[in-house]
Amino acid sequence: MIELKNIEKYYSSKGIKHYVLRHVTTTIKQGEFVSIMGPSGAGKSTLLNILGMLEEPTYGTYEFMEEDVTRLNERKRIELYRNHIGFVFQAYHLIDEMTVYENIEAPLLYKKVGGAERASRIADLLDRFNMVAKKDLFPNQLSGGQQQLVGIARALAAQPSIILADEPTGNLQSTQAEEIMQLFQKLNKEDGITIIQVTHAEKNAQYGNRILNIADGVIKDDFLVTTT
Amino acid sequence: MFKLNLKIAWRNLWKNKFYASINITGLAIGLTAFVLLLLYVNYEESYDTWSPELKNVYQVRAFHSYNAPDNKQYWQTSNESRIAALLKQNIPQINAITKVENDWYQNYALTVKNRKSLMIKGIRNADSAFFKVMPHSFLKGNEATALSKPNSIVLKKDLALKLFGNEEIIGKTISIVRWEGDAVTDFTVTGIVSEPNTPQSVNFSGIIHTGEFDKDNQNPTMHRYMEIYARLFNHENLNQINENVKKVYINNLKSTFTDSQYSYAEFLKSGNLPNCKLFPIDEAHQNPPFIASWIEKIKPVSLIVTFLLLISIINFINLATAQSFQRAKEVGVKKVLGSNKGLLVWQFLMETGLQSLFALLICGVLIELFLPAFNQQLGLNISFWSNQKLFFILLQLFGLFLIITLLAGFYPATVLSNYKPAAVLKGSFSNSHKGLVLRNSLIVLQFVISVTLIIAIGTMQKQVSFMNQKDLGFDKSRVINISANYNKKIANDIRKVSGVQYVGATTQVIGNTYAYADKINFQGKKLNLNMVTVTMEAFPALGIKPLQGRLFSSIYRQDTINTVVLNESAAKQLGGVVVGKQFRSYENVFQIIGVIKDYHAESFDKSIIPTIYKVTYLGGMSANGNLLVRFNSSHYQIIIRKIEEVWKKYYPNYPMNYQSLNDAFIHSLEDNSRFMNMIVIFSIISVSLSLSGLFALSTFVAKRRTKEVAVRKVLGASNMQIINLLNKSFLHLVIAANIISWPIAYILIKKWLDGFVYRIDMPVLPFIMATITSVIIAILTVSIQARKAAIGDPVKALKYE
Ligand SMILES: Nc1ncnc2c1ncn2[C@@H]1O[C@H](COP(=O)(O)OP(=O)(O)O)[C@@H](O)[C@H]1O
Ligand SMILES: [Mg+2]
Repeated sequence: MIELKNIEKYYSSKGIKHYVLRHVTTTIKQGEFVSIMGPSGAGKSTLLNILGMLEEPTYGTYEFMEEDVTRLNERKRIELYRNHIGFVFQAYHLIDEMTVYENIEAPLLYKKVGGAERASRIADLLDRFNMVAKKDLFPNQLSGGQQQLVGIARALAAQPSIILADEPTGNLQSTQAEEIMQLFQKLNKEDGITIIQVTHAEKNAQYGNRILNIADGVIKDDFLVTTT
Repeated sequence: MFKLNLKIAWRNLWKNKFYASINITGLAIGLTAFVLLLLYVNYEESYDTWSPELKNVYQVRAFHSYNAPDNKQYWQTSNESRIAALLKQNIPQINAITKVENDWYQNYALTVKNRKSLMIKGIRNADSAFFKVMPHSFLKGNEATALSKPNSIVLKKDLALKLFGNEEIIGKTISIVRWEGDAVTDFTVTGIVSEPNTPQSVNFSGIIHTGEFDKDNQNPTMHRYMEIYARLFNHENLNQINENVKKVYINNLKSTFTDSQYSYAEFLKSGNLPNCKLFPIDEAHQNPPFIASWIEKIKPVSLIVTFLLLISIINFINLATAQSFQRAKEVGVKKVLGSNKGLLVWQFLMETGLQSLFALLICGVLIELFLPAFNQQLGLNISFWSNQKLFFILLQLFGLFLIITLLAGFYPATVLSNYKPAAVLKGSFSNSHKGLVLRNSLIVLQFVISVTLIIAIGTMQKQVSFMNQKDLGFDKSRVINISANYNKKIANDIRKVSGVQYVGATTQVIGNTYAYADKINFQGKKLNLNMVTVTMEAFPALGIKPLQGRLFSSIYRQDTINTVVLNESAAKQLGGVVVGKQFRSYENVFQIIGVIKDYHAESFDKSIIPTIYKVTYLGGMSANGNLLVRFNSSHYQIIIRKIEEVWKKYYPNYPMNYQSLNDAFIHSLEDNSRFMNMIVIFSIISVSLSLSGLFALSTFVAKRRTKEVAVRKVLGASNMQIINLLNKSFLHLVIAANIISWPIAYILIKKWLDGFVYRIDMPVLPFIMATITSVIIAILTVSIQARKAAIGDPVKALKYE
């Protein structure tokens, strides 16, 4: 599903190149649940952003579903966002002015999903995440864990084939974190959704089936998680 | 999607109530001024368009200097009455032609039997063809025959109601006295016409037909000047028709030069360019002779009004871009959810649109509130909801709405929709300086406008007080001007009233001046000078004293024969020392006995023209219509009542009209003071709009810098230092604005002052005052917010972050 070849990323300041990523080459197949780990400043977020096409690599090739996306035009990229990629953020990034319901609905509107279909999908998600009673609340009326659930529901609404999550539990207490991780695992196993997450915690990484360890912009380790 | 965006727009508006209300109020005020202007322009544009038949109606205009206030040639509306018959005979394309008396703006006394007499303006005498040329719809009576008999009258509906109430009117009699001393004439009502739904150049409250204009005078030396209107069969080939009109006119004019003393060739040589044309009536109102057209007059106003609107739009843009980072997250998220730029631009434009819509609604209310005062100030009759062109006006408003929304919303929308999601979502994005340069330049622009207006007010104030205090050359206190011709008997009777000092008459007095130039020959020098007929006591009545020689007096018999007094300008043209010398005019010899100081008989934008004053009827005389009465006591009310008693003896059917010269003087400044009032109002609005914008922006900046301020305080900065810090960022903008506005104000004010012949020099004080004022108010405005930020608890601010 994802093919990275020799990805490099640097920022140059005053003529000096600061490498964030170097020689990153890897393949991620459909249905994998990958955890990217490493110390702070290692380049994890940068890698995830490149995977999510939010940033462009300075060098290297990136194929997403057999398509070279390093020089993708805006329209094509928006198409991918609408149909294939769901984002989950550490800071949730719900839209403050929209209710829970409207936040989940937003991607469906962009995807131009019909009214009836939209309503049933949202109802389904609300039901699944136990948020029916909260559908008319605004984000600031929810706890962090609840907000993140909405964030995930929103990512799932468009029925993506891959979810990219940057420290999705970074702001949460451990019980809430566990809940989210179990949800990811379930989505991965039961719905076959590919998941790539960045995480600090070894414990969270254990929910996935593969770990990429990054340090100083280089993949140091790449191994499968032994099933627990 | 639309509904959701609308909801979000509403929620955002609610969340930012404070800024939104500043935006909306400002925009509503700017819009109100603009819409009033729009209504005014529509009103003026609509002149003479009430019927499609008016496309074939033309005003006859000839190019001549007769009757012009400054003796120069103009395309005049008042023309020799014989032109009408001449054109009708020679131009086959003319269907009908009519002559109507000039509007003298005079009250006529109208009496219906068994009812009280009413003084009515706008009764005009026309020949029988009037309604064949001017399309009016008759509510009562027969259009074709209404004016066919002499002594008939057709009334506008309003006047009919006023005179008769709801009685049956046709065939009834109205007794009219037009001028004082006239006999009572009875007119039979033959028709009632409705008021056209657009203003009209040939305005009237009633048309009388005395029959005296149906034929021209048999005596070719007798002239009558009237307005002439023609209706063509169709309006093609106007240029060709006008070539013929000119030919016919000039040929006829040539034939009138029978006097061997003065030939047509000489007439041409002295600068006359005789010409005549048919002028489309719907363009007549925009092209008045003698005075500036409404378009000219409205130009400075439109400029200011546009600036007002601009200032409120700038507030909008500034606040929106300053606030934009609040919305950055939303943009970032929406982009990764699959929104494209276009959709986001739409969303933000819609939010601006929502605010413009609110502003427009408030503007509608404000218009309803202010329209009556506006109408009264300008003497207009504009309505909004019952406007004839309401649809057209609403269309214009919709256009305005779109333009404003685009102007105010497009830039912020583009800035917002351009945010890169990666930067925003990574959290590295905080206070981007995006739009800062633009925001600063817009603030500068706002203040340039405001400071320029303040300087303008200061200068205008000075010019106005200069005009109020200027020596007019005559004494305007304790004189009234009765509109009546000089009549020896009445004058003598009025003189007998105790408290009356002098009674005189002249054609040259503030409020009602009439100029007529004649040729003179002074020691071989040929000149054209203004000739004014006065009575013996005219100068004393005006409080004018001689500079050289003496004034007229009844002790010199010669004064009724051939003596003249010159004003200073005339004396200068004749070479200075002129008392005792003589000049010729045609075959007559005149003796100069004195020189008076130039005195003002018109507003200060007109220079005093060189004038010869004479009491004698030698060389013709001008009917004056100004009976000046000077008092030597200040019990005006009593004296005037006594004069009115005298008047009643002579003119029982005609009330006395009078005005004090003081009022006439104030009236002559009215145009100017109206303009000045308007500038003052607009300046106050524009300055308060700019300040409210600055206030909002500083609130916002102070809020945004809360953390910075807290950190600085923890590091030991004093409150004053913090306030200065925030002030500094705005203060240099205000100073820059001042420097830019000086030359602009200088140029504009110079242009305005140059419009006055009698004016002050360019003052310096208003410039300095404007700068000091603007800096102080700006500092105060910003400091209110800066202080709030400075005295806040730093711990709280830091914790919150
Ligand atoms: N816009 C940028 N300009 C310069 N350096 C950047 C920029 N964005 C990220 N970096 C640098 O790239 C490195 C990797 O950042 P990031 O991928 O966010 O690390 P991680 O998520 O692993 O903590 C860091 O050293 C950071 O300072
Ligand atoms: Mg990171």
